[in-house]
Amino acid sequence: MVFLTLEHILTHISFSVVSILISIHLITLLLFKEIIGLSDSSKKGMIITFFCITGLLFTRWFFSSHLPFSDLYESLIFLSWTFSILYIVPYFKKHKNYYLNTIITPSVIFTQGFATSGLLNEMHESLILVPALQSHWLMMHVSMMILGYATLLCGSLLSVAILVILFQELIQIIGKSKNFYFLNESFSFAVIKYINISEKKNVFKKTFFSSYRNYFRSQFIQQLDHWGYRTISLGFIFLTIGIISGAVWANEAWGSYWNWDPKETWAFITWTIFAIYLHTRKNKKLEDINSSIVASMGFLIIWVCYLGINLLGIGLHSYGSFTPN
Amino acid sequence: MKALSAINSSNPCLSKTHFLKVPIFHPFFRFKPFSHSYSIHVRGAKTALTPSFTINCKLKTSHDIKSKEKSVSQKIVLSEGSPPPLTEDGDTNGENVPESSQKKESPFGVVRMLRRKTLQILSNLPLAIGEMFAVASLMALGTFIDQGEAPDFYFQKYPEDHPVFGFFTWRWVLALGFDHMFSSPIFLGVLALLGASLMACTYTTQLPLIKVSRRWLFLHSAEAIRKQEFSESLPRASIQDVGTILMGAGYEVFLKGPSLYAFKGLAGRLAPVGVHIAMILIMAGGTLSATGSFRGSVTVPQGLNFVVGDVLAPSGFLSSPTEAFNTEIHVNRFYMDYYESGEVSQFHTDLSLLNMDGKEVMRKTISVNDPLRYGGITIYQTDWSISALQILKDNEGPYNLAMAPLQINGDKKLFGTFLPVGDINSPDVKGISMLARDLQSIVLYDKEGKFAGVRRPNSKLPINIDGSEIVIVDAIGSSGLDLKTDPGVPLVYAGFGALMITTCISYLSHSQIWALQDGTTIIVGGKSNRGKMEFPEEMNLLLDKVPEIVESTLGG
Repeated sequence: MVFLTLEHILTHISFSVVSILISIHLITLLLFKEIIGLSDSSKKGMIITFFCITGLLFTRWFFSSHLPFSDLYESLIFLSWTFSILYIVPYFKKHKNYYLNTIITPSVIFTQGFATSGLLNEMHESLILVPALQSHWLMMHVSMMILGYATLLCGSLLSVAILVILFQELIQIIGKSKNFYFLNESFSFAVIKYINISEKKNVFKKTFFSSYRNYFRSQFIQQLDHWGYRTISLGFIFLTIGIISGAVWANEAWGSYWNWDPKETWAFITWTIFAIYLHTRKNKKLEDINSSIVASMGFLIIWVCYLGINLLGIGLHSYGSFTPN
Repeated sequence: MKALSAINSSNPCLSKTHFLKVPIFHPFFRFKPFSHSYSIHVRGAKTALTPSFTINCKLKTSHDIKSKEKSVSQKIVLSEGSPPPLTEDGDTNGENVPESSQKKESPFGVVRMLRRKTLQILSNLPLAIGEMFAVASLMALGTFIDQGEAPDFYFQKYPEDHPVFGFFTWRWVLALGFDHMFSSPIFLGVLALLGASLMACTYTTQLPLIKVSRRWLFLHSAEAIRKQEFSESLPRASIQDVGTILMGAGYEVFLKGPSLYAFKGLAGRLAPVGVHIAMILIMAGGTLSATGSFRGSVTVPQGLNFVVGDVLAPSGFLSSPTEAFNTEIHVNRFYMDYYESGEVSQFHTDLSLLNMDGKEVMRKTISVNDPLRYGGITIYQTDWSISALQILKDNEGPYNLAMAPLQINGDKKLFGTFLPVGDINSPDVKGISMLARDLQSIVLYDKEGKFAGVRRPNSKLPINIDGSEIVIVDAIGSSGLDLKTDPGVPLVYAGFGALMITTCISYLSHSQIWALQDGTTIIVGGKSNRGKMEFPEEMNLLLDKVPEIVESTLGG
């Protein structure tokens, strides 16, 4: 009982903190102003969230006496924990990464929201581990996979942002509807914000506003592109290690390192897509839009791999299926 | 200055001029070599008439300058002879360099040309990307179409009168072999093509890259340096100071006269080669696994034997049985562990391996995730069932009643057996039913089908049903074992290890820096292949440290 209450408290704290953070981000977005106090508080809020989720994971670990990786709910919690780690780690380095942070906070709320929503309510009690999962490889495999997913999701979201900016004009023409308008506004705001930041450094560059804006727009895209590339390369490492540890584990438990199980296959598809992304970066002709398109495809494919296959409930990785067994 | 650098680039043998050049062009040169060694090589007998001399100067770097630095092992190398400096004034991509060196006239010119053409086509990057896309989409298709079903299944699922997407019917599935996608010729063909591309790319562009990047690429013109992604000019500075500072930041520094070349993270540039080689290893291992392995599965009741060779079936034409196939395996004991809630937590089988003479050569208790390995054969614990119930009826027996699986739904199993009571030959024979979910407890029902009681095996507690006293002596489990031999595993594991290491190293960024002393000014330029944003910042930080030389201190 203590365990359940503790878990509830931690879940609700982390969820509400992240919601507050999202509203802060929205407010700064709508007011078109950087309020220093608020952005500082958002950093603190993310740290609070991080500790809450860490606590949550540890309580689950302690009370179920196995690592909290056994079902979809736990892996979602772990995913949002990884997102918050990705937020925290650059925070301690002197290298501030403004773009990643803007993308991570909403990601945390979505995963956390999905995990705590009623959809997965029956799965909250921690289950016993089936014989096949009782292995040291479980920790290695699952943690690396989720770390890989989280990092790749962040990186590919940056690429999605590039696509949105690049197709801004197109969207303006096609979508006169209000939803698109809002998206549009928010992204041109992001560009303006970037200009404001850069302005402090380069006071000399005062030219006509239009060309000035174009210059910074391309600079902004370049920065996003670069950080997207670095993040995806990092995620690719985690994904590689995750898939390989899974294969080695399968060779220990089921007698074959590769079974073409749907989940395995989709993990390999994800790996291939991001390998394609890394290769498009090698070619100057393919670099700009194409690599972003590939990364955005990767974004969708990660979700298919992570949730889609579980929802179908097929194969060896049927831990998160909605079908009662 | 420009004239001299032009001579340099045309003839690398003239490197001796640098030594002479140094004091002329650089009055601020503060370098105090400890020892000089001049070596004169006479270039072989071929050029006997006009022997050209190469004078290499090996200057031991003065440690009094560099003793402040952390690592002593690193040193500024001043134009040592061994790797020939490759002078290149343009962009130093180095990927188009090795082509010309392979051109040799031979009678097999056509074959050679054909080979080069194929290599060229295969190592084409867009083609490789297309192949990867094809593999990915085929795999995706393979997960959407149910695999390994009977043809009837596809007739019903993809009927001709309601084609999926307007054209996709069972004819497509069966003709293209998509009912067994991962062994279909199309999929394997694309995979093989990808493997060929991988090898061609490794051979034609990546391996030469190693050769090129081992050379030091000095740049001798200010323009070439200014063309780099990052460039800066430092007035009143000495190139030695730049070298020292770069070395302190972990760069390998090479100095030749007025020009400097430094790099860091070369491993990051070479690691992708390793990634490709690792992928080739994994593919080779996978092929070997597919063609040269044996596998089989068997369900053995506790206490019985089987011979390994009877169970294993070859999977490909390279499969050849070994001596170990004569081994006989005896299942000593099969037992299960349970959670407190009664669920199965783990199952174990105690196995003895007997050789042809009946001698025990190995004994191990295996469980899921803990297989047994002997002579190339691996035995996995994968499944279990209950084979028989041992009972005493009215103190007679024990009788063995065979258990049959009644319902298998996921991991929840149910086994049952039946003990006839009364006249066995009558047409409507009745009896006692016994059901078991696992080896822990047996549920008994009387001949009317009413619940009679639960007994644990080994409890010796008799139960009276329909006038007969029954004691359940034991429940005999049988162990589901998977056996395999797989000669590809060592190769695949080697590939896995290499892949993990090389992908990690690939994250490193390869940074190159060139500098040129031009009078009192130094032009510094550099580029980085991955950390394009961090590199200029790092450079600015480093170059800020370069001391400015004031006139009065020039005496030394």
